[in-house]
Amino acid sequence: MTDLAALSARALARAIREKKVSSVEATTAAIKRMKDCHELTNCVVTLEADEALAAAKAADAAVAKGSSRGALTGVPLAHKDMFDRKGKVASWGAKIRATEPAAQDSTAIARFKASGALQIAALHLAEFAYGPTGHNYAIGHARNPWDTSRITGGSSAGTAASVAYGAIPVGLGSDTGGSLRLPAACCGIVSIKPTWGRISRAGAMPLSPALDTVGVLARHVEDLALALGVLAGPDARDPAASALPVPDYLSHLDDPVKGLKVGVDEAVIGEASPEVQRMLQDVLAVLEKVGLAKASCRFPDWQTLDHLVQLVQLPDASAAHTAYLRTRPGDYSPQVRSRVEVGHFIGAVDHLTALRARGIYLQRTLDTTFKGADVAILPILADPLPTIAELDVAASPNLQAAMGRVVKFTRPINYLGLPTLALPIPRKGGLPNGIQLVGRPYAEAQLLAIGQAYQREVPPEIAQP
Amino acid sequence: MASPTASPAAPAGEDAASYLDMPPERRAAAKAHAALLSRAADKIARELPISADVDDFRRVLVAETKP
Repeated sequence: MTDLAALSARALARAIREKKVSSVEATTAAIKRMKDCHELTNCVVTLEADEALAAAKAADAAVAKGSSRGALTGVPLAHKDMFDRKGKVASWGAKIRATEPAAQDSTAIARFKASGALQIAALHLAEFAYGPTGHNYAIGHARNPWDTSRITGGSSAGTAASVAYGAIPVGLGSDTGGSLRLPAACCGIVSIKPTWGRISRAGAMPLSPALDTVGVLARHVEDLALALGVLAGPDARDPAASALPVPDYLSHLDDPVKGLKVGVDEAVIGEASPEVQRMLQDVLAVLEKVGLAKASCRFPDWQTLDHLVQLVQLPDASAAHTAYLRTRPGDYSPQVRSRVEVGHFIGAVDHLTALRARGIYLQRTLDTTFKGADVAILPILADPLPTIAELDVAASPNLQAAMGRVVKFTRPINYLGLPTLALPIPRKGGLPNGIQLVGRPYAEAQLLAIGQAYQREVPPEIAQP
Repeated sequence: MASPTASPAAPAGEDAASYLDMPPERRAAAKAHAALLSRAADKIARELPISADVDDFRRVLVAETKP
């Protein structure tokens, strides 16, 4: 019998299309596994079993009639609970929620629906997607399916946990400072944070619109390619959505990677713990084995980028929350409230300086870092997988420093808007962790081809608690 | 007439975000962090051409895209 939990979305879609398995069977199994995963990890905000099974029956009927057309017909998925869905109120992982149900689907949800995918649950996220660890004082902390004393990473915590557990093959997340990459690393899966604007943000809860990026988490790189192809493209509802043509990412998955250069900035990587540096060397060894060549590179403004991204993000987040901070301050958890307050103390000129300088710093990074490299490798976490207790800092004076260390390798990349693929380390029996490959603008197809080659050597795993 | 300090739209400065109910130590920590970032912004601003524009970022992303 096929282990449905281990299949990629692409393989499951094929099996449904070829009537080797029905959507109802796949969805029933996914719901069961999602319930088990929730018991272990607190990954679910709302389970939508009845709706999903009704949609699965409809998908099976369409397959029987030969009228199914979508790339994901009948495939059960689940997503971070911050995307508008018509007639529903997203939780945003918070006590504060919209007062009215959404009038229409977010573009990302609509495009998944158009591909034939089903949704079985709305998944855990950090409160307002503003937290990099999976802690959530409003709906409970998320727990890592590999070791429930450890963090899942955040903010796309529930998607990462349920993908790693095999409840779903792929799901939506978002990334403003590391929220796709950190949970992917913590849970030992892959994610693609596309170039800023590659996927429409229409109907996604905003945190910092100048940085917010919708993306996906999966176990298989081929599912990142499939999902990105479904989701990417222009959108009249999001003026920042790129009008550049969307490549056929699946057809590029097996593009040759031999001879591509992976840039290594020893100084930046040296800021990670020795254990994480060793993990990164393990990944580099695999990348060299599949044909990539190591090259020295340098991020010329790394520390400055970390300041610049905060000058953008903090006031953006404060502005997004200004109404709720005035009217419902007591409904924030202390940690998130502290973080959304800080931006009020950053002057408008400083904020605009960071925004006006963004093109210059991006150009300088491309001219310097990528001068002799096709992609650059960086850690994601600075340290081995932390415990939930270690990072339970609430609103202590240590908050900015503790969170700053968690996102030190991720948030500067959001300022640059560059595409980033998260890959898990070879675990060797230990806990998961991950690295990120940063590409040039809109180089997602190249990143995914490298990831596909990597997964031939380091195959996807299902979390073993 | 309400006093300026009681206004919910108080200008930035000492009374920034006076509408936020923040204990003094949290307000001080937020100001300190903002001051650190402001020093970074000051260094950047000194070298920023007057022509630098917020839309430059999107232009560079597109211009640097390889087919």
